[in-house]
Amino acid sequence: MLLEREEPLRALALRYAEAAAGNGSLVLIAGEAGAGKTSLVRAFVESLDRSALVLSGACDPLSTPRPLSPLQDFAADPESGLGDLRPGDTEPYELFAEVLDRLRNTIRPIVMVIEDVHWADEGTLDLIRFLGRRVADTNAVVTCTYRHDEVDRTHPFRTVLGQVGSLSTTHTVEVSPLSQRAVEQLTGDTGIDAYDLHERTGGNAFFVTESIAAGGRMPRTVQDAVLARLASLDPEVRAAVEAVSVAPRDLAIDRLARLTDSEARTVDAAASSGVLVADGPRLRFRHDIARSAVEAALPPARRLALHRRMIAILEDDGEHDIARLAHHAVGTANPALILRYAIPAGRDAIARGARREAIAFFSAALRHSDLIEPPLAADLLSTLGEQQSLVGDFVGARESLTSAVETYQRIGDLEGQAAAMVLLQGPVWVLDGTEAGRAVTARAHSLLQDRDPSEALGKVLTRISHNHMIARQREPGRQAAIRAADVATVVNSEEVAWRADALRGTIELVMGDSAVGAEMLETSVKEAERMSSRKLQAWSLGMLGSGAGEARMYPTAIHALNRAIAIGQASDDDYEVAYNRAWLGRIAFEQGRWDEAAEFAEATIRGFGVVAEHLLTAQCVLGRLRIRRGDPGGLPLLQRLADSGDDYLLQYVWNAYCGVAEHAWLDGKPEVAVPLLSGAFERAMSSDSPWARGEIGFWMWRLGEIERPPKGAAEPFALQIAGEWIEAAQLWHELGCPYEEAMALADGDETAMRRSLVLLDRLAASPAAHRVRGQLRELGARGIPRGPMKATRANPEGLTPRQLEVLESMALGLSNGEIADKLFLSKRTVENHVSAVLMKLGVDTRSKAVAVAVQRSIIEM
Amino acid sequence: MPRYVIERTFPEGLEIPTTTEGMKRCLAAVDDNATEKVTWIHSYVTVDHRKTFCIYDGPTPEAIRRAASLNELPVDSITEVNVLDPYFYVGSPATLLDEHTGRR
Repeated sequence: MLLEREEPLRALALRYAEAAAGNGSLVLIAGEAGAGKTSLVRAFVESLDRSALVLSGACDPLSTPRPLSPLQDFAADPESGLGDLRPGDTEPYELFAEVLDRLRNTIRPIVMVIEDVHWADEGTLDLIRFLGRRVADTNAVVTCTYRHDEVDRTHPFRTVLGQVGSLSTTHTVEVSPLSQRAVEQLTGDTGIDAYDLHERTGGNAFFVTESIAAGGRMPRTVQDAVLARLASLDPEVRAAVEAVSVAPRDLAIDRLARLTDSEARTVDAAASSGVLVADGPRLRFRHDIARSAVEAALPPARRLALHRRMIAILEDDGEHDIARLAHHAVGTANPALILRYAIPAGRDAIARGARREAIAFFSAALRHSDLIEPPLAADLLSTLGEQQSLVGDFVGARESLTSAVETYQRIGDLEGQAAAMVLLQGPVWVLDGTEAGRAVTARAHSLLQDRDPSEALGKVLTRISHNHMIARQREPGRQAAIRAADVATVVNSEEVAWRADALRGTIELVMGDSAVGAEMLETSVKEAERMSSRKLQAWSLGMLGSGAGEARMYPTAIHALNRAIAIGQASDDDYEVAYNRAWLGRIAFEQGRWDEAAEFAEATIRGFGVVAEHLLTAQCVLGRLRIRRGDPGGLPLLQRLADSGDDYLLQYVWNAYCGVAEHAWLDGKPEVAVPLLSGAFERAMSSDSPWARGEIGFWMWRLGEIERPPKGAAEPFALQIAGEWIEAAQLWHELGCPYEEAMALADGDETAMRRSLVLLDRLAASPAAHRVRGQLRELGARGIPRGPMKATRANPEGLTPRQLEVLESMALGLSNGEIADKLFLSKRTVENHVSAVLMKLGVDTRSKAVAVAVQRSIIEM
Repeated sequence: MPRYVIERTFPEGLEIPTTTEGMKRCLAAVDDNATEKVTWIHSYVTVDHRKTFCIYDGPTPEAIRRAASLNELPVDSITEVNVLDPYFYVGSPATLLDEHTGRR
């Protein structure tokens, strides 16, 4: 499979088409070693029709290159018709003229391939120069591949590039590294971390595909390729390159000289070996994966010696970079050195947001836990467990945190124990279920409830508030947050105070006034920025993103989610990144960007199989998408989710219930979904979530189970249930939900239904479109508009009770703002009601509406 | 891998010339399908060329749709199917048992 090569392939195909028409060209294919130049050429050649004559030749990295080796390769191919050329015996110029002559005098279009020109001998370079200048009136595409990173200023091919590069018949095709998205596509469901792999390989196609083939371990082929490259170097130069491999990231040039006792000449040779790149005064491997390969191949004693020597050099220099010191300390396997450097390095890594690095350092230190005082060991275990949770290693986290809890208990530190238990809730929740998770926090609470306030108590209370928020229980959640804030004031804890505020914002966002909640959370984000805590920033942005998503405030949500993802990726926060991506998928689905929604959902399902919340969100999207498109496989997926329903996770699965109901309704068998949906409805009504009440209530209404909007239902759903389809459609339009808008319009008159159909066809929502077409046909057959909905039958103009109330207020001369206050509606909704009333009464001003209404006895004055 | 029937409508009629160009178009479709792990088995084309019924193997309906969009082909509906042929039941455990007990 060739990814992200559509552009270069198209460019090559175009050159070929031109060549077939007698306009030849020289194409230079540039890319680093392993970028996929050869694969590109192969794919191009395979795409050619049979009329093409393909001449393949290559240059080799031989110490004494075969002269004109590509021509020798051509001559050796009986198909080529160049078998009579004798590269050794003819004068070069005559030989080149002969080749050109053949290119000019064939009817077949020719693709000449010269691979690895960076290794070309002088003769081959002359040939390329010669052909490059004269290729215009041939039927040939002369294709040369080369490693642009190995052709430096002094390389002989540079001169050729200078001479032919600017000709109009010369084209350059760059084979760039694979993007992260392509790497994700290639890792597929292998469980390999695509982000990490992309980082380590820099998107190099060879390294990426080989690493995947090796299941994420260091691939033998990569090791072979890298070591083969090293093998061609002088022994001292090779030793210098090998020494660089023990350093993390990079190594200062002067230190390399001291480390290996090498002369400047040797260091320079190492720097220009092609394996390393010079970054100012420092050297590093071009690809980190190559560094790992070289390091892994070092003999153990040599590696140990290099690390020991390096530590000595660093200590001599008074090095401040603690991560560098710790890296070499771990390399020496000396416990005293490890404990001296790895612990502060782990803390430093956390401060930098480098979680995996922190985990590695703490784990290294804790391998010598018998040498660590128990209070410190407990702290380290607790910090390690927290970091493991954040990168999604829940099994490791549960183990570390359980040890932390036991250690605190042994030394009688109740506060420490409770704080560790709060952290333990996370992995237990994921691995053993939400109930087991909450039980851990409840035990932590019982440890501290009769003791003086402490920061640990504050943490327990914020966790309890968070749990209520997840279950969409507004008051208990708020109460716990307020208590946490009180504790924070007493014990002066900035973080607990921050968390209490952020939770109150989140609770307001998903269960109260969403605009106010969003503002509160924005403040929390800014605070986290001020406190320069990436963890808290990512957390609050995730809450803002998913909460605003639930409240269908999409611009706010998308902005926050993308910011959260950027921060999360920079700090190895896989858990948050996956959750936020799943949410971007749900939003794309609701906004009618269905292809994107499918991609987000699939990426989540592939990449993060373990965490219930992510998976539920993504699978709901996929299931509902299939149902709305009429594709197979949607219903079984949603039914499985609905059956596995943990009561606590209603917010993640209500979409599954609604999808099942939607399928039944579209299928014309609403009754089959009633038992399932009724149960969900009851749960929604015992929660404080307006959007769960709204959407589940909406489907209860569609299935004929309820007649009026349920209490506390989100506005657009409530409007639609009340028969106010004009206002509902308008509101859905403003929110940016085309499918919902179409569903509201489908409840309207013929014009509205036609509009609905346009939207549904645009989405390719065939089942719903089919249904609306049926409604329209029915209308046409009878030739009369369909009667108004049950709830609106009361008055002849088809006004809903709410519209009547608005009309009455209009008659009293109230402004929209005054009506909004009186009826507890937003001003925008009142505006929508007013325009619906004007439309239904067929007038264009408020005063005319009142006059008509009085005249027709709709209202009394 | 699940098998699907994909119905497509071509209002102007589907025209693939029996030339190199036509062959290229079909093979390009095969390449694009491969990026989505989708295999085009074959298609039934109505006599007026306005509708096709295409048999595909693919991992998911989403992959089928992506492959269609890469190939700029319309999709009316995707239906998951199983293969049934006249001899499907011949030699199956249930029919063997019936023959053994003399039932018809």
